[in-house]
Amino acid sequence: MNMKYLSATLFAVNVLLLPGTAFSQLKQNTSSGEQLNLTFNIKAGDATVVPGNTYTNPFGETYTVQKFRFYIAQILLEDSTNTSEQFFPDDYFLVDAGDTGSRTITVPISIKHLTAVSFLVGVDSVANVSGTQTGALDPANGMFWTWNTGYIMLKLDGTSPAAKVPGNAFSLHVGGYKTGENATRKIGYLIRHSQKQAVHNIVFNVDINKLFNGAYPIKIAEHPLCHQPGALAMQLADNYATMFSLGQVSK
Amino acid sequence: MKWLYTICACVIVIAVCSMFISAANKTPIPTPLNFTVPAGWPQPVYDFKQNPLTKEGFELGRKLFYDGRLSRDGNFSCASCHQQFAAFATYDHNLSHGINNSFTRRNSPGLFNLAWQKEFMWDGGINHLDLQPLAPMTDTLEMGETIDNILTKLRADTAYKRMFAGAFGSADITTQRVTKALSQFMLMLVSANSKFDRVMRGEDSFDLPEKLGYAIFQKKCQACHTPPLFTDYSYRNTGITTDMYLNDVGRMKITRNPADSLKFKVPSLRNVQLTFPYGHDGRFYYLQDVLDHYRKAVVNSPSVDPLVRNNMPLSNFETGQLKAFMYTLTDSVFISDVRFAPPGYENRAPKAPAEHEHQYKY
Ligand code: HEC
Ligand code: HEC
Repeated sequence: MNMKYLSATLFAVNVLLLPGTAFSQLKQNTSSGEQLNLTFNIKAGDATVVPGNTYTNPFGETYTVQKFRFYIAQILLEDSTNTSEQFFPDDYFLVDAGDTGSRTITVPISIKHLTAVSFLVGVDSVANVSGTQTGALDPANGMFWTWNTGYIMLKLDGTSPAAKVPGNAFSLHVGGYKTGENATRKIGYLIRHSQKQAVHNIVFNVDINKLFNGAYPIKIAEHPLCHQPGALAMQLADNYATMFSLGQVSK
Repeated sequence: MKWLYTICACVIVIAVCSMFISAANKTPIPTPLNFTVPAGWPQPVYDFKQNPLTKEGFELGRKLFYDGRLSRDGNFSCASCHQQFAAFATYDHNLSHGINNSFTRRNSPGLFNLAWQKEFMWDGGINHLDLQPLAPMTDTLEMGETIDNILTKLRADTAYKRMFAGAFGSADITTQRVTKALSQFMLMLVSANSKFDRVMRGEDSFDLPEKLGYAIFQKKCQACHTPPLFTDYSYRNTGITTDMYLNDVGRMKITRNPADSLKFKVPSLRNVQLTFPYGHDGRFYYLQDVLDHYRKAVVNSPSVDPLVRNNMPLSNFETGQLKAFMYTLTDSVFISDVRFAPPGYENRAPKAPAEHEHQYKY
């Protein structure tokens, strides 16, 4: 082997391929080949949430949803049969109750037997300290605190007679990336399915009522507002960690 | 085997070359801009690799900085509060005017040497220079606009489309590009040409009061106002009482740690002659007022810094000498540098303000 030629060739190939990587980034619904759809069904108890409609939380407080949005990141697909995995560390998705298209995330899947899926709710700390981001993380999306840098990982805005604040407008903006205040939560599920069938669709149910009564009871009457990282945000984050449940898995 | 590699390599080299040529035909490559670290200064903390400075990026940032369209009513550009002749502070205002007859809640700091700064605002709440512009843009007491509206206005302007293409390779106008361009302009605001700097470079010398003032400064002030940047970027409580209307807790607003109550970022003292009034809420009009605070009015509370606790002993002579020294930090080259003036103003650059009563007496 002539190493000099080989390395020159490899270098050139690298240079050629480099611009290509810019286009290989994930986009919703555009990749060819096998795809996996992760769909988030937003509910309040058993009812499907439609912004503008009114629901009742476990404390009997009625509330009308205006905005409900959260970030999903770091999707990890595992195949324990073949000990292989697919990880999407740089892809962030903003799921919005008011935007049907945003509720299904599509990623290319190449592993043969999907045995586990996990993801992060929120935005990891690196993206919180690296300047202005693009795409789902564009601060223009309104999921960003400008005066105290950091992403809002999950937001629920609405009105409730229980909220003793102007306009009865309660507003829970949960974020925080620093040690001790990190509001990201990791969610993971084992997937059981027939060996012969590849999985192409996974549904997750997301119960907003758990935001009020998951790990901690958080009444709208007592906490109508959360606009900064800290203790309340951490409790709300522990609550949203319980908000997800695995729904239908299909081919 | 060898000829195969040769051919392979040739084909690839040609392909690469033609790719570059075709790319070059589409959009001209922007001209790199040099960032010079003044001799003896530490390395900047800004990551230039993520935002390489170019002439085109800088000029775009400059246009944005002076453009009122970044505000809702068109009247409040960055430069309306950050004026070059005041070293990019708001001249002679304790608080600055924002949209709808509002006032900002803090005193507008001068803008310079930002490449060395890690955190921004008096409370350090913003962790990256690129993100800083988003705060005034969307603050209802400042520019009162939404990011989306700003982008819409800029996208409707063909001059901007051309400039974004020149700076970033395509005409896309995004939040990230707007803020990176603004950073390019702000990063170039380096102030390192005051009399103090000339003296340090051996090109000039202090007169007697300046020299005596420097000696006092080294003893009593530079632990916090550390040269060459004249700040160590720490957060300190200097025993200033809270204004009951502003009720500003400072750094604690960000950390929620009671130990940080009433701590504010140590401001640089470069160009301090021009950035009056002083303090995070502009409560001190004259430099003498600041010095009088340090020697007479420090309010001891648990988080007050030991260096200023129980007041600092400073005689009248010493305050005069300290002022004489602080006036040597004025950088007249910086405030009249035409590169930083509004676009198109190269030939009628703003003049330094007339000397007023800040002229020192000792
Ligand atoms: C209405 C007046 C006003 C406008 C308009 C304004 N600023 Fe400011 N600026 C301020 C004030 C006041 C502060 C200090 C805020 C604080 O600490 O809470 C500040 C702080 C800053 C800082 C941080 C400096 C430091 O040392 O921490 C930077 C950088 C800055 N502004 C850049 C800009 C840019 C870029 C724009 C335009 C997009 C802009 N400003 C528009 C008033 C203004
Ligand atoms: C313990 C650290 C510390 C020491 C020591 C200290 N300062 Fe300061 N200085 C600060 C902080 C913090 C502020 C901002 C205070 C505020 O607004 O709440 C400040 C503000 C100032 C200002 C106002 C600047 C502006 O742009 O608003 C001047 C002038 C000043 N100091 C001069 C001095 C001088 C002269 C000395 C020495 C006699 C000195 N300082 C000692 C921390 C310090």
